[in-house]
Parts: sequence; C-alpha cells; structure tokens
Amino acid sequence: MTTTSLQPKSLREADIAGGNERSKRPLNAWLLVRVAIILCGAVMMVAPFLIMVSTSLEPNTATLPNPPHFLPQNLTPANYEEAWTENNFAGFFGNSAYVSVLTTVASVVISSMTAFAFARFDFPLKNLMFSMLLAGLMIPGIVVIVPQFVLAKSLNMLDSLEGLVFFYTAGQIAFTTFLLRAFFERVPRELDEAMTVDGAGILRKFLVLYIPLARPALATAAVFSFLGAWDEYVWALTVISDATKRTLPLGIAAFQGEHSTAWGLVFAASTLAVIPVIAVYIAGQKHLIAGITTGAVK
Amino acid sequence: MPSQDVLPEQAVSTPSAARPRKPGRGGASRRPSHWWVPWAFAAPGLILFLLTTGYPLVRSLQISFYNWSVLPTQASTFIGLDNYIRALGDPQFWTSVVNAGVYLLMSVPATVALGLFFAILLQKKMPGRTLFRVLFYIPVVTSWVVVSLLFKFLFTTDNGAVNWFITDFFSFSDHAVPWLEQRWTGLIAISLLGIWKNLGWCLVVLLASLGGVGEELYEAAALDGANAWHKFVHVTLPGIRGTLLFVLVLQVIGAFNVFPSVLLMTNGGPAGSTEVPLTYMYKQAFSFLDFGYGSAMSFILAIFIFIVSFAQFKFLGEKKETLR
Amino acid sequence: MMKKLVTLSSIALLAAAGLTACDTGGGGAQSAAVSTLSSGAAVSGEITFWHAYSAGGGEIKALENTVIPNFEKLHPGVKVKAMQIPDKDMHQKLVTAAAGQSLPDVVRADIVTVPELAKIGVLTPLSEAMPDFQSWADKMFPGPLATNKYNGKSWGLPLDTNTKVVIYNDEALKANGVASVPKTLDELKAAADKVGGKYILAEGGSGAWQMLPYIWSNGGDMTDPDVKKSSGYLNGPKAVAALQMIVDLYNKKAIPGVILGGSGGTPTGDGLPKGMYPTIVDGPWTFPNMATSYPNFHPQTSPMFSGAGGSISVVGGEDIVMTQQSKNKELSAEFIRYMLSPDAQKAMGQVGQLSAEKDMAETMAAIQPYYGAFLEQLKTAKPRPATPQWAKVDDIFTKQAQLALQGKLSAQEAMDAAVAQIDPLLAQG
Repeated sequence: MTTTSLQPKSLREADIAGGNERSKRPLNAWLLVRVAIILCGAVMMVAPFLIMVSTSLEPNTATLPNPPHFLPQNLTPANYEEAWTENNFAGFFGNSAYVSVLTTVASVVISSMTAFAFARFDFPLKNLMFSMLLAGLMIPGIVVIVPQFVLAKSLNMLDSLEGLVFFYTAGQIAFTTFLLRAFFERVPRELDEAMTVDGAGILRKFLVLYIPLARPALATAAVFSFLGAWDEYVWALTVISDATKRTLPLGIAAFQGEHSTAWGLVFAASTLAVIPVIAVYIAGQKHLIAGITTGAVK
Repeated sequence: MPSQDVLPEQAVSTPSAARPRKPGRGGASRRPSHWWVPWAFAAPGLILFLLTTGYPLVRSLQISFYNWSVLPTQASTFIGLDNYIRALGDPQFWTSVVNAGVYLLMSVPATVALGLFFAILLQKKMPGRTLFRVLFYIPVVTSWVVVSLLFKFLFTTDNGAVNWFITDFFSFSDHAVPWLEQRWTGLIAISLLGIWKNLGWCLVVLLASLGGVGEELYEAAALDGANAWHKFVHVTLPGIRGTLLFVLVLQVIGAFNVFPSVLLMTNGGPAGSTEVPLTYMYKQAFSFLDFGYGSAMSFILAIFIFIVSFAQFKFLGEKKETLR
Repeated sequence: MMKKLVTLSSIALLAAAGLTACDTGGGGAQSAAVSTLSSGAAVSGEITFWHAYSAGGGEIKALENTVIPNFEKLHPGVKVKAMQIPDKDMHQKLVTAAAGQSLPDVVRADIVTVPELAKIGVLTPLSEAMPDFQSWADKMFPGPLATNKYNGKSWGLPLDTNTKVVIYNDEALKANGVASVPKTLDELKAAADKVGGKYILAEGGSGAWQMLPYIWSNGGDMTDPDVKKSSGYLNGPKAVAALQMIVDLYNKKAIPGVILGGSGGTPTGDGLPKGMYPTIVDGPWTFPNMATSYPNFHPQTSPMFSGAGGSISVVGGEDIVMTQQSKNKELSAEFIRYMLSPDAQKAMGQVGQLSAEKDMAETMAAIQPYYGAFLEQLKTAKPRPATPQWAKVDDIFTKQAQLALQGKLSAQEAMDAAVAQIDPLLAQG
C-alpha cells in the first residue's frame, strides 16, 4: 500500500480556516469566540425541541401551552408511560427498527456499488442512466404514489414490512448514489493504479481501496438512510393497513385526533422516536470526521 | 462538472497549485476490463430504481395526458396536452411556483451558508464538540409534522412566542404581527422553519466532505503565509466543491418540493396566497381526484427544477475559474 | 450537464411515444348488479373496517374493547379487523386504495365524502343491498340521513352526528361589558359595537362549515334544494348580507384572524377558556377537550345566533358505508346493523359520539348533560349540500370568503365570483 498521504496525527487535527492555533494555545480568544457562536447557534437549534420535551413531561393537554414552556411545569412521566404502553407502541418501535436497519444496510450496499460504477467507469448509456437518477430526485413522491401503490400491490408488498424495506431502499438509491459518487470520484487515481500494479482485480479495489476511503460518505449515507426509513410517513400510511405492521410515525399520528390532539402523548412519542436516530448519528459521526487519508494508510 | 481530484503531490506545492486540476475523465483506468463489469456493479441499484421510480414516473406521465379516473374499472379519457395548457393558464399554479421561488431564495442560501459556517466551526477540536454536533442535528431527525405544528404555535398572532419577543421583550413594535395570516410574513415563517430544519442536514454532509480535504493542503497554504480567508477560498472551497454543489442542488430541489410545513402552517391560505406547488398538486390529486392535472403540474415543475439545477451547475462551473 | 438535459428530455419523449402501448383500464360503467343481502342470516369470515376515531377521547378503546368484541361474541367465528386512519389522511388513503382495488369492507366516512365515493363507484348502495334499509333510515334524523343520498340512491347510513352551537365564556362576556350572551345576529352586532376593539366571537375558518350557519340563520342558502345551482342563492341578498356581517365584524377586530384559515391565531377551543374569545360556535368535542386542558373552566351553551331564517346550524358527523369490493357483503351488512344497534350506539355515545337515531336522543342526553343543547340544535340543523364535487365547491367558497375578509373583494363580488365557478361544477353532478 502506498503511504503518500500519511500525515502526523497532530497535523490532521490542525484547523481548517483559522490560524495554526495549536502552537498558540492556551491563551486563545478565537476559541472563545468560536464556542460562543456555536453556543448561540445550538440554542436556536434546540429551543423548539425543548418545548417538545417540556410539553411531553407535563400533564397531558388537548391544546399546546401558548406561550410555550421551555422548561416543564408539574413534571410527570405519565405521557411516556402511556405512550409506551398504549397502542402497542413497543411493537411499532420494533417494526421501525427492523425496517430502518434493513433499509440502511441494503441501500448502502446497493448504492455504493452503483455509485462506484458511475464514478470509476465509462460505459454506454452512463449519462442516460445518471440523468434518470437525477430525474428521480426531482419528481415529488406524492405524484407517483398511486402508480407505486398499484405496483406494490402487484408485487404483493402491501401490508408487509419487507415491502416497506424494498420501497424505502429504492427511494434512497438516487440520493445515496449521488452522495457516494462525489466521494468515489475524489479517490486519487494513483492509488488505483498502484493496486493494478500489485495485480488487484476490480472487486478487490472496490472493497479494499474505494470503500474504506469513502467511509465518511458511507456513514453519512447510512445515517440518512436510517433517518429516511425511520421518519417516513406517507408511504407507510398508504400501504400499511394491518395494525400490527405499523411503524412509529403511524403510531404517533394515531395520537392526533379529528378534533383534538393529545399533545403530551404526541410529544412523548416523538421524543422517544428521536432517541434511536440520535444514537445512530452519534455512532456514525465518528466516521464522518475520519479524513479520507486515514483510510488510505490502513 | 462537480468532480475533482485532490492529489497527494499537490500537497507539497503552493496554495495556488492546490487549485482543482482539470478532472482527467476518460483516462485509461476508466475503461472497464470487460463491458459487463460496470453493469454488474450498477445493475441492482438501477433495476430497483427503474422498477419503483422509473416505471411509476412513466405511468404518471401517462396519467397527465388523461382526464384520469381513479378506479381502474372506469374509463379514462385521453385529452392530450389539455392538463398542461390548463396549468399554464392557472393563476393559482403560478402563484404557487412564485411562492416556491420566494421560499427558495429566502431559505436555501441561508441554509447552505450557515450549514457550511457551522460545519467549519465544528470540524475543529473544541470542548463539547460531539454534543454540539448532535444538537445541530436534532431538528433534522424530528418529524416535520411535529416541528411544523411547533412553529405554527411560535408564530401565533395573539400570545405567540415570536410576537412576544417583538412586542414585549424587545419592544420593536406595538402591534402583534399576523405572521400566518398574510402572504409574505407567512412565507418568511415557513422559510425560517426550512432553514432551521435543513441546516443540520447540510452541516452533516459538508462535515463529511471537509474531512476529506487533505490536511497537507492547509499546511502548504500555511507555509505560504495564507490567512484564514485565503485558505477558505483557495483550499476549503475547491476541496468541497463537488459536495457543495450536491448540497445546493438537493436543497433547491427540496425547496421546490416544500410541502408538510406549508400544509400544516398555513395550508396555502389565506385565499391561496401561500400555496406552493406541492400543496396545490396534492389538493388537485387527493382532494379533487384530478390526478391528470396534478401530474401535469408536477412535470411542469420538474422542468423548472431542471432549468434551475442546470443554471447551478453552469454558475458553479464558472465560479471555479474565477477563484484563481 | 447540457448533455444530460438533452438525454433526459429524450427519455420523456420516448416515454410519451410509448404511451399508446399502455392502457388505462377497461371502459364502461361499473354498476354491477346489486344482490340483496338478507338480514339475520348466519355470517362467517373476516372483514376489515376503516375509521378515524380519535385515540385521545377513549373512542378507540370503546370500539376495540367493547363494540367489536361484543359483535364477535354475537356471531362466533367472525372477525372484524379495525384500522384507525388519522382523519386528515383518510381521504388520501381511501383514494389510493380505490385506485389499487384494495379497499376495506366497511368504512366510517365523513358525511361530505359519501357522494364523492358513490360517484367514483367504490360504494355499494345500501338502499338496494339491505332489504331492511328503510327501517334503519326511518330511525334517523333527516339531516344526517340526507348526506347519504346521491343519484337517487342511499349509499350509507348515519353512524354518528354532531352540530355546532354557541359556546360562551360568561365571565369574559361580562368583563367586556356584555350582560348576557347574544341570542340573535342583531344582538351579536350590537355586542360587537359594545366591546369596541375587543373580540366578541371567534371562528376557526371561513369554509362552508363555519359560514353556512350564519347564511342559513339569516335566511339565505348555498344552493337550490336539488343542489343543481348556486346562483341566486349563494350570491343572493340574504347570503351576502350574512357574509358581509362577518366581514364587518372582522374589520372592526371583533373577530380574530383565526378566521383566515385558522392558522395564525389562538385556536377557538383555547381562546374561549382563556377568556380571549367570549363566544365561539363549536361542536360537542370541545367539552372533553376543554375539560382536560382547562379543568376549572365551565363552558356554557346557547343556540346558534338566530335571524330571519331561524337558528340554523350545520350537520357534521360520519356515515357508515360498504364498499363495492367487499368480498363478504353479508357480514359487512351485519356489522353495519350492529354498529347502528342501541348497544353499539350507546357504547360510542359514552365517549363522545352522538347518535343520529331519533329514539336514542333520550339515552344520549342522559349520558352527557351537554348533549342536550346539541340534540336540540340538531332538530333544525341542515347538512351541507350533498354533491360529489363538494371538496371543490367548498374550496372555491372558502377562498372567495377569505378574499372578502381581506378586503380584496366586496362580499357581493366574492360570492358572484364563487357562484360563477361553482355552478359549472354542480351541473356536472
């Protein structure tokens, strides 16, 4: 393996746009400014979420408190208990986990292959195929939902969790392929050629060179695929009619009634639903920062 | 084209040399050893895509030429381009397209710029970095329905939190702003939600991309005495240009397809003044069962998106030259 | 990129060219012969039932833990699979399922969607399929029953009903200097002048559901009795005067901005107990909602503001319908009968579902004291015009009413414009 891009660890962690602050620490006003800016941003990001969590910890009401509560008044876990035990919520959680994990695996595997083909090779109809993927991103999903439903029915995929996985994976392909292609194209050709000299076949290059190098992108694709499947509502609503096959968003929507919404329950359920995605993000984000060079020296 | 290579040997040269090299497309290594090799890699994804998206798209295009009846047992009438002609002469459709354009201009540049700004800040080591990254990501993972309803309450005219800040806390004005009861303020509120919700998404993708910019380039630039701004313009931007374009294009597509926030915050009202293409299409298709008309509008919208995406590729392609 | 655009447009052209090869399904009407379903015959098998009962108020628990188990006990071996679909998504799910031929057997459908579902051909006309239909129809209040008529047939039966009355906050009225709740439209106008700059009334929107009670009470109407035309009715002097009155109150800031679609302001059920809105016009569901959120508030009721036309409110509620695609129509019919039986009606009445059956009125009034006011109002309440084009008609009306409220058109101009768009739709039937 080549070691062209091996860098001392300290250099890799050096900053991007600021001065070379490692040598100038600890007296660093710039760091303080940075933290202050980030803190402001984070507060803005989190404020509406705080309202959600606060309301979920208050006694259930049919109307949202207005002005909203950023901190809960009359703290009670009742909504969480009820959200978890009523309506087979644990079952919905399991369904969502099953569907999301399978979708993540399938879409990352399949789209990394597709993206590799687009990034690494020239082949006939390549531009046509790529344009079609692009078109897939541009047409709003609700427009094709009726033809898709008829298709799902003829594929016998109504009321089936595996059917959801199939369509969710397909729905992610265009996006993840785009994302991964941009990264694969950045892989230095010298590394590829060096492996040719070593007598490596294309499959080996794909697995040993390209995949490790695209780790940040793969992690990003996985996080988004998981999130996409975890949060999807309209398609699940359309194809799932069996109450035992519901996913989380369907379960949460069920708390919204015709004339009133049990906000405490909706928010408790939504808070519970956010937790696994944050866990996935934390797991994935370690790889998001791993530089492209890290993979190359393995 | 959005591709670009960062080659290791450039690391030891000057920042100006770190400029993107002309992408060496079509070189020897791009030719497969056997014709079927690329197809073998691409096939699973393409087949899945063609089946579940391509085929329904063609069906939907077909529907757009019909006065389509929902029940397959009832006949649909072929009406040619009538649905398209109707859409082009429908003032409500144009209002919805203009509103999407306004939403795009108000939300996308801010979302991408702020996403990049915080991505750069959060890429470097600092206390609590992981926690901050998670906090920025929270809006992305919270359901659209929940955050749309939350924002609707924040922007309520009487007693809403935003108006409370305006009239009581900062005393900018004596009057509560009827945010969601008129067109422009309604679009502003919806755009603010769009920025808030999508910022974390941009941040995550750009963060991944920043991680791929070779440190040696920054180091070389530093040796050359480049300041932070120069490094940003000559190293960071070229290094992430492909991803930045990807983020921009997807955000623009997303802006044209803005839907749940409008549906839940204003439902296109009052009097259709905040209608966007998707809420209008949804109404035509699922409330009025006019699927032909809804499909026709979506294909017209797709053409818009195409033109705008094309302009983005073109614009950013030229920008690359002016960066030198 | 240019090249990609060119190739893409050629795909589109190719696809368009290939369309002639596709077909959109067979022709001809679908009116399959309707066989009569005997009553009381042995039933077996399994059916599915879609509904939009709310989880919050105990409706789903009553259905799933009491009503359906009791039905299954009555008919050993049968199974009813109930599926809740959120109210706002019900229409989309029904339409998609209709297109994919995957409808359930029995549906609890909002009364305004029944004519539309009948028109697109997904329903079994109960008036022909159930030999005992007339005996059920005779039990019902005429308003809710009328919502099932389309094309000379009845396609469903009223499962539950509701209407709206004036609900008021006495303290808020007195605080604003209004001694007692306005009983008539004139008293409402006078009270608005009295409160000067404060709200007297809140409406959560400007659709037919909100505006028709004023139009009817003022002696106007939306369409002719056969729902064939709206000109001369909706743009007639009495309807326009009613709308003008609302517009005037809004301009005087006696009605808050929530009337413009209900998006911007405090919801009516929230502003009333808080004292922001002294009066609202709303349905029975308001009571349990306010009881959970504002336990110390005691709402009071009064009939809809009366005018030249009387005190006329609007009928809401749901009908129970059977689909054309149902494979077990015998069991579906039996399930419909059970849902309309005193047992089921009472069980659902306990969780807020007001029965539409005349002889259940006393039982209902005994279950909840506040039902009394609504049952009284129901005697004169009218349904919205039954037309398969209702969704479009209501959309046009709402938009024009909003333009009048915003001052972009006068009430007369707005209704003239509405009539010009609505009449061609009604002519289509």
